[in-house]
Amino acid sequence: MTVSQERLARALNPRTVAVVGDKGASGYMWLRNQSTFRGKVYSVQVDPREIPGIEALGITNYTSLTEIPDEIDWVICAVPRQVAPRVMADAAAKGVAGVGMFTSGFAETGEELGRQLQDAIVEIARNAGIALVGPNCMGLYNPGAGVRFSAEQVTGEGGRIGVISQSGTHAINTSLLTAANGMLLSTAVSIGNAVILDVPDYLEYFGNDPRTEIIAMYVEGVKEGRRFREVLARVAQRKPVVIWKGGQTDAGARATMSHTASLASAMHIWQALARQVNAIMVDNLDELVDVLQLLLRAKPGGGRRAALMAQTGGQSVSITDAFAKAGLEIPQLTEDSYQQLAGFFNIIGGSYQNPFDMAGTVNQNPDLLDRIFGIIDADPNIDAIVMEMSALFAARRWVANPDLFEDLLNRLQAHQARSSKPFATILHPGHLEAEIAGLRPKIQARGIAVLPSFDRGARAMARVSAYHRARAAG
Amino acid sequence: MSAGIIGSAQVAGRTILNEVESKNLLAAAGVPVVAAQIATTRDEAVAAARAAGFPAVMKVLSDDLPHKSDVGGVRLGLADEAAVAAAYDAMMAGIRAAAPHARIDGVSIQRQAQPGVEVIIGMTTDPQFGPVLMVGLGGVLVEVLKDVAFRIVPVSARDAGEMVRELRGLPLLQGYRGAPAADLGALEAIVQSLSRFAQDNPEVREIDLNPVFAYPNGAVAVDARVVVAAKETAA
Repeated sequence: MTVSQERLARALNPRTVAVVGDKGASGYMWLRNQSTFRGKVYSVQVDPREIPGIEALGITNYTSLTEIPDEIDWVICAVPRQVAPRVMADAAAKGVAGVGMFTSGFAETGEELGRQLQDAIVEIARNAGIALVGPNCMGLYNPGAGVRFSAEQVTGEGGRIGVISQSGTHAINTSLLTAANGMLLSTAVSIGNAVILDVPDYLEYFGNDPRTEIIAMYVEGVKEGRRFREVLARVAQRKPVVIWKGGQTDAGARATMSHTASLASAMHIWQALARQVNAIMVDNLDELVDVLQLLLRAKPGGGRRAALMAQTGGQSVSITDAFAKAGLEIPQLTEDSYQQLAGFFNIIGGSYQNPFDMAGTVNQNPDLLDRIFGIIDADPNIDAIVMEMSALFAARRWVANPDLFEDLLNRLQAHQARSSKPFATILHPGHLEAEIAGLRPKIQARGIAVLPSFDRGARAMARVSAYHRARAAG
Repeated sequence: MSAGIIGSAQVAGRTILNEVESKNLLAAAGVPVVAAQIATTRDEAVAAARAAGFPAVMKVLSDDLPHKSDVGGVRLGLADEAAVAAAYDAMMAGIRAAAPHARIDGVSIQRQAQPGVEVIIGMTTDPQFGPVLMVGLGGVLVEVLKDVAFRIVPVSARDAGEMVRELRGLPLLQGYRGAPAADLGALEAIVQSLSRFAQDNPEVREIDLNPVFAYPNGAVAVDARVVVAAKETAA
């Protein structure tokens, strides 16, 4: 029996959770992680030494899944590996929707016993149609339901980004770094050995999940390449898919008899795949977060021509270098725009060619920022607008005068709401990292993308605009 | 045609098709090639060159000599019958001296193609995604320059167009320093023929067309190598 998408959806959006095999030695990590769960949490533990500690948490313990007098949607299994087949058999008898198997020591060890135990749980799960996530994984993070695999993960409100990860560490890091940038996930799944459900199944789920608008994945390799490609192509037509491919340098250690085979690195093949299905490839977690910010916050647009607004002459040169290097264009504005700008731009210490060097103008009269935005937004030569938020000179002033900063944010937010062109800010720390850490969330809370350097901003902008361009081409 | 050439090689325990087999296979799949004839004696070589036309090219055919030019196994610009006869004797003697244990299946004879921009077009089988195609700037420097673009089969017309255009060396194909622009459409057509060929022949594992000469009108594979699966694992 294959796992139905309905069953997977029930498992990943549970109303009841049972934790099997949690222990005091780990601080009852799994039960404590579910303290934010909106539904009912049960424990299953047969070791009498562990039970008092579980009951002290206010959680009812049973000695088998089948004894629980309630339907169970999601099971978190943290038992020793020898016991895993027994837990799976109970889960099948109980009719649970899904199991997240944290237990490890299966085929990934390369041992015969590990393989046999894995075969045993696979057979039970397959016969019962159980949505088995893992084994050897962190399982499910669903912030809206309050199910977590790390005590640092935020819960309460669910977001719009779905995450699939072949690494538990990267699943945690991705969920924490997106949250630190003010972005909430709909669901993250750490998929481990993926013995029943694999990347295409989760892609299908997120493709259908109405709350998920963007899909991000960390993947090292896939088992069914052709099925993966087919599902990815289909899902990527409806929702942006961002792929962080781990292990890009693994040069196929196989003997080859042609130039073509010896040149075909994993990186080449995955980039080819991404081009053919219009997925966005990123090289690391930082790039993933940057791209997600633009997809989530900036208006969609495939144009290469950017207007760059810097605060000083030196920075206007540097931001231009970074964006040009990333393959974007920094064109002249129209004559009409220049005539309007000439009416008020403070020429001394400023410049409005594109890039803009505008501090000298805007500091004297903040209303002029709105006028500059209006002119650039209306200019047919410009597809996207990027503004440097100069921490170097302004961060102390912004921290000291919160009203001044709020006024600036009001103007940026109004511009983004009015404009149909992608907009992003670049807030680079300079020497004031603590101040920046306080300011960045305030900008992001207005729904505005904040990139941490010219280079990262330029790379992310180039990737996302290429995505929208290919999407528009059909 | 393809089943015959591939099948006989597999039955004979061979996985690398020689140049003549490879070209016959690919010509039947719609790939333009410089036709080559096998010759196993001096007289056959002369007759084949007479039929193909001069200047002629002679290349040794041997599974044991993948880098045939390193052992003197390639002779270009053979102007007439006498030159072909002399080259045949010299090549056989030279290889027997340089590689005494190599099994020699003969030589291939073809008319020397007009020079064009050198491109490599190839196919390999990815363990996860199956057949993939490559286009790159070709010739002997391909593995140094690594200016290549890949797509997974099936490769659409748009994919083929993008592959050619994402090469860093694209200006060389667009008429660099007054040279006439190469026929990019002809290269794209070869890519698409290979894509269909790879789909229809899952037992083919690797292909190198290197070099392909790109001309202002058309393109032609000057050398070709097809690698097939060993018989046990043939699909």
